[in-house]
Amino acid sequence: MMNVLHVELAKVFSKWRTFIGFIALAVLIPVIVLAMKAEGNTYFSFATQTLQQAFTITGNLMNGYTVAYIIFGSLYIHVPFLVTLVAGDILAGEATAGTYRLILTRPVSRTTMVTAKWIASSLYTVGLVIIMAALSLGLGIALLGTGEVVVIRSQITIIAADDALWRFAAAYGYAIISMLTVSGVAFLFSSLVENSIGPIMSTMAIIIVFTIISAIDVPILATIRPFLFTNHMTGWRFLFDDPVPWPRIITSGSILLGHIVACYLAALFILRRKDILT
Amino acid sequence: MISIRSLRKLYGDFVAVDGLDMTVEPGDIYGFLGPNGAGKSTTIRMMLSLVAPTSGTIEIFGQNLQTHRHDILRRIGAIVERPDFYNYLTAYKNLELLGRLSGADISKKNIMRVLGIVGLDTRHNSKVKTFSHGMKQRLGIAQTLLHDPDLIVLDEPTTGLDPHGMVDVRELILSLSADLRKTVVLSSHILPEVELTATRMIIIAKGKAIIEGSVRELLDAGRMKVTIETPSADAAIAAIGSSPFANTLQGRSEHGCVLQLERAEIPEVVRLLVERGIALESVTPVRSLEATFMGLTQEAA
Repeated sequence: MMNVLHVELAKVFSKWRTFIGFIALAVLIPVIVLAMKAEGNTYFSFATQTLQQAFTITGNLMNGYTVAYIIFGSLYIHVPFLVTLVAGDILAGEATAGTYRLILTRPVSRTTMVTAKWIASSLYTVGLVIIMAALSLGLGIALLGTGEVVVIRSQITIIAADDALWRFAAAYGYAIISMLTVSGVAFLFSSLVENSIGPIMSTMAIIIVFTIISAIDVPILATIRPFLFTNHMTGWRFLFDDPVPWPRIITSGSILLGHIVACYLAALFILRRKDILT
Repeated sequence: MISIRSLRKLYGDFVAVDGLDMTVEPGDIYGFLGPNGAGKSTTIRMMLSLVAPTSGTIEIFGQNLQTHRHDILRRIGAIVERPDFYNYLTAYKNLELLGRLSGADISKKNIMRVLGIVGLDTRHNSKVKTFSHGMKQRLGIAQTLLHDPDLIVLDEPTTGLDPHGMVDVRELILSLSADLRKTVVLSSHILPEVELTATRMIIIAKGKAIIEGSVRELLDAGRMKVTIETPSADAAIAAIGSSPFANTLQGRSEHGCVLQLERAEIPEVVRLLVERGIALESVTPVRSLEATFMGLTQEAA
């Protein structure tokens, strides 16, 4: 297994497209952090406009933690696209290039090959979330310091600075599970087709459609909403509620983990039975 | 070394391979011939476990492919159709990664050795996307040698090569057998290539074996083209046209005529022409795999 994983990682990290995600985050996050440093207080005043009519807000609220939270929320809908670039290509790319013939005529079982590819795409996904976490938290703290996290949703929650780090760690952990779900869906689509554009587009289309269905407040759609994985992908936000609704987070996380396992097993089933004709 | 029995592959209602039997002995250069769509590639893909048979058995090295896939593939090197590689990697890196999957010795010395065999050692650091088709074919052969397999399966290894490249590959195949004592299965559309390299062969059509045996036997068994040169070409053609050999007449040549004959018929035709007083300058039988192939596959069709 380690040999096959080594080969898969070498292939993934020899492709230019693999680094698009890292480069995008490495450019985008510093730009956001610098913009927040320059004009964050204006943004923050606008966001808390109503609140400031009743309360006086003092302290360093536009700090590294708050910026990291804002970045987390805003990039969360874009990172899935970066995830699919690798996961959508990892199987279909072999079919497109005709290289299934090269690897499947080696003394390596298809189960090992599929598993190694799944691990390689998952490691890339985990790496992407870690880079996002390190850049947004690291740069945010370095440039804006620490302080309370101001969470503005339907209500405003202020998390104490010494209560923030573990929440970020848990939220990024949850984000890894969410992104692995996206990666798993793209991986499954990748096993079905022979062109890597298809899985990337299909996964993004599903995320967009499911997200829209989740957002429309119509009773008939409410019945299917709990079954849509996109509905559970935003569960990281609950880690910034006070108190944290653990049962809800655990349920959503379990549903996502179920999707990950189901997608992997389905892709394995398909690849084990597939006749290699390309 | 390879024993295939009653092999069958269906794609829906389409029968790609239909009860194929074939046997490859150790040391053979085994030619695998058939017209387009005969089932050659499907058979080779089944031998390499890329495609699952619908029924039948494949035994290689005395082991069943379904139950001993891992052990069998460890001892096989193969090119299947086009020589596709990871174009964004160098030739060296491709071989290193593929060698790692095969459990081969991936030391620089071994990789450079096989690149040297196919004449690509000076281009080891070039990305494969810069390679010509011929260079990719040679790299394909290099990757089959990396793990020192006992059996090498080459599916259309000279497709797209220029005449020099074809000669190089042919010599390489002969040296694989003679010098490295490898057993080679060679599928090709290029009949002279099989004729010049193979020791045994099979011809298949519509997924079935038509004939299998040594190349020498097959060449002797079939009809052959016979060119008769004579100063009296018109008289010779008229004599043959009015004889029982009329339907063997293929046409006029520059100095006579061409017939398609069984070996045993040649003396009878010569006797006929001599008895009619026709002077003969030469009688040249041309044993051709092409003639055998065309005859057998047309009969099957």
